[in-house]
Amino acid sequence: MRILIVDDSRIMRNIVKNTLTALRYPDDIFLEAADGDQAWSILEAEEVSILLLDWNMPGLNGLELVKKLRATPKFQVLPIIMITSQAAKYNVIEAVKAGVDDYLVKPVNEANLEVKLRRILDRRPT
Amino acid sequence: MNIHYLLPFIEAMEGAFQQLFQLTPEALTPYLVRKEEVLDWDISGIIGIAGEAKGLVVLSFPAELAQQLTTQLTGVVKTSLDDDVTDAVGELVNIIAGNAKKGLEEFELLISLPSIVQGPSHQVTWPSGPVPIITVPFSTPGGHFSLSVALENIITP
Repeated sequence: MRILIVDDSRIMRNIVKNTLTALRYPDDIFLEAADGDQAWSILEAEEVSILLLDWNMPGLNGLELVKKLRATPKFQVLPIIMITSQAAKYNVIEAVKAGVDDYLVKPVNEANLEVKLRRILDRRPT
Repeated sequence: MNIHYLLPFIEAMEGAFQQLFQLTPEALTPYLVRKEEVLDWDISGIIGIAGEAKGLVVLSFPAELAQQLTTQLTGVVKTSLDDDVTDAVGELVNIIAGNAKKGLEEFELLISLPSIVQGPSHQVTWPSGPVPIITVPFSTPGGHFSLSVALENIITP
């Protein structure tokens, strides 16, 4: 799987990457971006299986990127999990309306990330 | 003074420290801060709050504790307030402010990107007007730190 981790915090990107490595996804390839604009460039240039996306970022933020992706035919079914500190219900609703597949509140909990990834992977066509 | 709305920030901080550092900081006695007060810390992470209330959330550390916590997060020993330390302090205050919104859902709040102020005797530009600034000091085995909150219309005199 090619996993794109988008977060303006390098430490948080590493925590997510280390969590995924600990969850035994050894063959995964991790791509990283520090904001929505960088993520968009990577998505246009490379194959990405799943997007793990922060919300609060400089430039194009996570929610804006989700809206841009869902308005673009080739990204309409790209699996997106938003991983953010924004814990209010109205934030979750806004993100789901914009088109995220799932939502995880920081700090990342290994078990929760595993459940959400598994749920998305199980939905993928074989 | 209505400090009931401080609790979501304290709970968010405790949750973040437990999850990220396996630490439960001990809350000490809260106190009011004057706007012009110089902070006796080395680094502060600041989040602005807008929407149905305006304010600031500030998380302040001595250099040694900020470096120690960042060392724990990165696995690399930190001996100065480098980019990783500012990244860690910014992300911590972001997590605290974002998680606290869950306990303040009767208000629709927006949070800013974190900013960092560092250096001895630094100051924070607090919201103007009669908004109380409440600081809660915390104790950990590695030293003290503080969480300060000023929220217009929510935490009132």
